[in-house]
Amino acid sequence: MPKINLSGVEKNYGGNSANAVADLDLEIGDGEFMCLLGPSGCGKTTTLRMIAGLEHLTAGEIRVGQRVVDSVVDGVFVPPEKREMGLVFQSYALWPHLTIERNTDFGLRLRKMPKAEREQRVDQVMKTLGIEKYRDRYPSQLSGGQQQRVALARMLAVNPEVLLLDEPLSNLDAALRLEMRAELKRLHREFKTTIVFVTHDQWEAMTLATTIAVMSEGELQQVGTPNDIYERPANRFVAQFVGNPPINIVELGDGKSEVSQLANAYLGARFAELRDAGSIGIRPEAIRLADAERGVADGAVAGQAEVTGILPTGGSWIIELTAGGEKLFMTTHQSPEVEVGEAVTWWAKSKALHVFDKAGQRMEVADRLMRPAKLH
Amino acid sequence: MSGQSQSSVQTVVKPATVTHGTVATLKSPTRSQRLRYRTKVALREPTTIIGVLAAALFAYLIVVPIISMLSDAMRVQFGDERRIKQDVGELTWYYIDRVFLSRISHDLFWEPLVNTLSVAAGAITLSMLVGGTLAWLLSRTDMFGRRWFATALIVPYMLPAWTFALAWTTLFKNRTVGGQPGWLESIGFSPPDWLSYGQLPVTIILALHYSPFVILLFGNALRRFDSQLEDSARILGAGRLTVARKIIMPLMRPSLMSAMVLIFAKCLGEFGVPYVLGLPVNFDVLATSLYQNISSRQVGVGAVLAGAIMLIGIITITIDARLMREARRFVTIGSKGSMNRLSPLGILRLPATGFAALMFLLSVGLPIGTLFLSTVMRVPGQFNLDNFTLDYWIGTNLNTVALQTGILLSPDLWNAAWNSLRIVGVASITSGILGLLVGYVVARTPVKPLGTFLRQVTFLPYLVPGIAFAAAYLSLFAVPRGPIPALYGTTLILMLALIADQMPYASRAGIAAMTQLGKDPEEAAQIAGAGWFRRMISIVIPIQKGSLTTGILLPFISGIKGLSLFVVLAVPSTDVLTTYSLRLVDYHYTQAANAVVLIIAGLAYFGALLGQKLTKTNLAQGLGN
Repeated sequence: MPKINLSGVEKNYGGNSANAVADLDLEIGDGEFMCLLGPSGCGKTTTLRMIAGLEHLTAGEIRVGQRVVDSVVDGVFVPPEKREMGLVFQSYALWPHLTIERNTDFGLRLRKMPKAEREQRVDQVMKTLGIEKYRDRYPSQLSGGQQQRVALARMLAVNPEVLLLDEPLSNLDAALRLEMRAELKRLHREFKTTIVFVTHDQWEAMTLATTIAVMSEGELQQVGTPNDIYERPANRFVAQFVGNPPINIVELGDGKSEVSQLANAYLGARFAELRDAGSIGIRPEAIRLADAERGVADGAVAGQAEVTGILPTGGSWIIELTAGGEKLFMTTHQSPEVEVGEAVTWWAKSKALHVFDKAGQRMEVADRLMRPAKLH
Repeated sequence: MSGQSQSSVQTVVKPATVTHGTVATLKSPTRSQRLRYRTKVALREPTTIIGVLAAALFAYLIVVPIISMLSDAMRVQFGDERRIKQDVGELTWYYIDRVFLSRISHDLFWEPLVNTLSVAAGAITLSMLVGGTLAWLLSRTDMFGRRWFATALIVPYMLPAWTFALAWTTLFKNRTVGGQPGWLESIGFSPPDWLSYGQLPVTIILALHYSPFVILLFGNALRRFDSQLEDSARILGAGRLTVARKIIMPLMRPSLMSAMVLIFAKCLGEFGVPYVLGLPVNFDVLATSLYQNISSRQVGVGAVLAGAIMLIGIITITIDARLMREARRFVTIGSKGSMNRLSPLGILRLPATGFAALMFLLSVGLPIGTLFLSTVMRVPGQFNLDNFTLDYWIGTNLNTVALQTGILLSPDLWNAAWNSLRIVGVASITSGILGLLVGYVVARTPVKPLGTFLRQVTFLPYLVPGIAFAAAYLSLFAVPRGPIPALYGTTLILMLALIADQMPYASRAGIAAMTQLGKDPEEAAQIAGAGWFRRMISIVIPIQKGSLTTGILLPFISGIKGLSLFVVLAVPSTDVLTTYSLRLVDYHYTQAANAVVLIIAGLAYFGALLGQKLTKTNLAQGLGN
């Protein structure tokens, strides 16, 4: 039984603007930790706000459990205050004139919960999040991380069935982010709430989500587990958006560059079915350098290049290769034994190749040919 | 699985979690379904309804009076039928012709226009010199007592402008006018007319009164200036003078121009000063010319004059808006290194402090001191101990025709004070609350045109000098119209006019506050389950407490010392403090008039001080708006 169901949801801010969200169908299962991932302006926050009821729809329908909360065709609109959800804002939106305790028990007071029960609940939530010692302070007296916890506590206090998070970690520094990420994962386990999380940070999405929905320009690109998204990106956009350093894309058709000719020749010689392919993607960690001990693996795509840059990133290295003017990036965890200016042979296994058609969509047929084990 | 969506570049591969069943059954909504849904959304929230009501209210309080007045300018007025040889209400060019082209157009319009322009030009030049120097001393040098002066030098703007006019007459009044002589006259020196009345004193007084504008605007710009810009030039080898000439001045130009334009707009509507100091020598400016036409029931001519003043005002403010846009373009340059480096004045440190002190004495000490002394002296200018008396404040059985008690014992004063507090108080509270509501609607309504209309309509009175606006109210409410009875002579018309007149400030404060607050805190409450009313009471109003206080206090202060609106609309029974003191001036009860003005100045000053304490902000800066 899905918890939240969006069908045909469309949002247009009027005028001649393009749809902020176009024809979106999405199902979020009960207890799922769903990440809406995409670059800024892709419609992910708009989608979240529509689920919360803070934006109205231009077309489509939203159901939460069995209840239709939004339907343009049926003229249904349940206002946000009646949807019984929680939403943590990017800015936290703590009420500056109320103490931490009053911020936290605001929702409970509205629900007219008896005092003793309310206090017990607030105590419990504050303890869980470690903010009980700040209860009499005002939001401006807390640090960003503490404010973040209060914003979470405020929503968790009313025990919502759905918790919506709008880039809640983007205003925190790196160390706090890591801590809060672990915290969120723990809370998800503990409260068993359905969580919808909006972020533009692929790393955040990968580490937190049980399911990721990648969006771009108002359209859903792919829905899947973090592994799916990384291992089998549905199109070039997803492949390029997820992964750091980004995936190397080699255009096929034109055959102008050295790498392109090489890839064309490679595919043409082995996989006749792929002659319509438009481009291939190779993740940086899939590229290896051939050396005296280990040559190019059997059946791998390989080529010559010059090392034009070595960038240590602490524990690993990014190596920039240039072949006939085209750049390829690779990563390695072993201290590179090459130097800038050296000529090298690079290679990648065929099962590491992502093949896209001319429209940029993943060619499933390539997967069947190149990764037989994975599919069956 | 991917077969259904391979047709174009945009298509998406939708794995198993995406539903397909519902898509087929869900049709794209029809127009009427969309409308029904949107209406439902809009009606959930009273925002739109409040917005529509507010829009109707302001259309009636602001737009209709102005239109009514402009149409008066083109229609034959009651009493003019015979002269124009047309029936009342018919279209006519008569008034326009009379004001701009006829033989008396010179006295009616052209000479007052020239006077207005030359007074404004003089006042602008003087206040630029004085205010500009002071602003620089305050924000960029190591002059002594800068913090104290920063507040003290703004005080002149908190006092009613014609405080200075009355002080001037107290000092310089000569035989041209009857009543008590001025101090100079009574010590045996008879000042010439050009020194006592007309252009010179009006110009000097307006310059003193408006130089705080320059201090605030120019000083702020100087303080906000990014010192890195200056440093870059210095590092490249520019000397201090070159930096000042090539870097600082060009960047300061918008703020200086803006101060100039604002002073001009204020001079245009200034009534009290030219009225007190111009009348004895028939020195008319546009505002006094308009007043005289209105008080002699020349409604049509008055309407044309008011329209002309309005037009000049609109042009001026439009120019200002342009300049401010330009200024904003500059402001974005730097935000990090504000300029807190001070130029050492060296040997000039003491003289500079002396100059600031002198300006404070001239613009605050002297006028207030003179006015106060004049109220406790029987014969002006004689400093013998037996010449001092408190009779004018608290005496009884005085040997005068009217006002036989000291001013504090006169019921008229208390009546006027009560009227002032009541009218200005009600109007300020109302406009403060309306301003916050306008801000709320503008920031929240999904109906964009409604927000735009509200923002513009509440700004409209800003373009119309008070006296022209009062004329518009007179035109609309002097006679019964439809279900609305004639309001002239009631306190209601004063309140309504004051509310409308204060809306630009109130709504600007409200819009700024609501936009700054953003939607998040309210939406968070909404998610937590709070309905609209609960959100207003528990979230929005408590958070906006400070700006609401400012939004009420600022109009209150400017209303208490305001004259131009009241002078047209008040009658003796609805006298407020300002019109009451003007009436006393007209009757030559100099001491009483001065005492009342002192009371007003005190109210305005301590009101501003109180506001500053309450909101912990510098209200003086807000007064510059």
